Amino acid sequence: MNPFDLVAQGPAPSGDATRAERGANEAEPGNPTVSALRARFSDAVLGNSVTAGDQDVVHADPARIGEILRWLHDSPAEQYDHLADLTAVDYGGGRPIEVVYQLWSIPHRRALRIRCALPLHALEIESATGIWTGADWLEREVFDLFGVRFAGHPNLRRILMPDDYGEGHPLRKDFPLRGRFSRAEQTRRALNQDPESYYVPGEIGDRVPQVVAAEPGDPSLAEEDHGDEDD
Amino acid sequence: MGVNQSGLPLLGSPAFVTTRLDFVVNWARRNSLWPMPFGTACCAIEMMASAASNFDLARFGMERMSFSPRQADVLICAGRVPYKLAPVLRRIWDQMMQPKWCISMGACASSGGVFDVYSMVQGIDTIVPVDVYIPGCPPRPEGLIYGLMMVQEKIRRESLANHAELRAEDPLAAGRPRAGDQEVADLTGPFGNSTDQNRVSGLVATDAVRRSEDRLP
Repeated sequence: MNPFDLVAQGPAPSGDATRAERGANEAEPGNPTVSALRARFSDAVLGNSVTAGDQDVVHADPARIGEILRWLHDSPAEQYDHLADLTAVDYGGGRPIEVVYQLWSIPHRRALRIRCALPLHALEIESATGIWTGADWLEREVFDLFGVRFAGHPNLRRILMPDDYGEGHPLRKDFPLRGRFSRAEQTRRALNQDPESYYVPGEIGDRVPQVVAAEPGDPSLAEEDHGDEDD
Repeated sequence: MGVNQSGLPLLGSPAFVTTRLDFVVNWARRNSLWPMPFGTACCAIEMMASAASNFDLARFGMERMSFSPRQADVLICAGRVPYKLAPVLRRIWDQMMQPKWCISMGACASSGGVFDVYSMVQGIDTIVPVDVYIPGCPPRPEGLIYGLMMVQEKIRRESLANHAELRAEDPLAAGRPRAGDQEVADLTGPFGNSTDQNRVSGLVATDAVRRSEDRLP
């Protein structure tokens, strides 16, 4: 087959099972935290797997993620005090968006990855800013690019795209590569921005947080619950 | 400057005086160009190399990189410009005083380059007027120097007789795109490098998986 045909076809479907189901109980964990998590949160841990050789992955229930992360951070036997990364993955095709927490325990020298699958109609998860302050900008980035809302985040607004960006969330698989608006409209909108609203010295300091509102032109936020926008 | 043919004293032929004055003014202008560096990517590294000792832009009169747009003569846009940065570029251009010129350095500044995506300005000539485009990814310092010499050549051919026409600036155009809607569409047409989307992507069917609620109303 011509390799360009493969590109045109796009990614092959990977079956009906979600990652969490496929990864369930597959692997013997190398990290003792996995067993401890399973023992303590037996109903909230949906499965675990090992990837990239020795990276333990735990698939967790998003409804109880705050509890799990708090325990991982506070428990003396775990002490995951370093949030190395917080990101998300969209697998496309209507499958859930997975929020990924990459944790590192400095005292115990252990790495752990937590994944939470969020269905597209309920892209909301508890914020980790109360546990790791560094989650602040990472969660803003995930919100900006995937549209996942973090309940309890102190300042949930866009971080990479302009505040008034009206085309949705660009890293979703269903986002067109060149954006939704024409280039003329994008140029017009770009020049109508007020750059001083975000290129200010106070950006890192005590800037007054803005309310994140779903703009009329933001179609991917249209069906979501707007009840808690002022958090 | 307000100097024109009719306003000059009659020393012999007015045309003779004007051309001599043109020569002096253009000589001064082209040999004391102060660049305003607007470096956003790897092209800026080459721009720094051009200013450093091996290539030494100062030989051509670019003695000083002017980090204040108010004292700069030529804007060198080196690197890709995202839409979020577009108003900054436009404002810097508006803040520069006449006479002023603009160089678009490298593929990304000139056309968007490989970044034919939602976040990137497809050529800064949609935002500001450009005098010289320098191809390359990034261009070598020789390329930048050649571009600056082309600006010098352009200045050499200017005349104070049509100063008002050449250097006219509409205050209402400040902060606006340089190009109209249709021109933007023509300038930024896709090159067909990655997908088969057309320039109104998102409003037409593509292979991308989409949900009905993601369409624009």
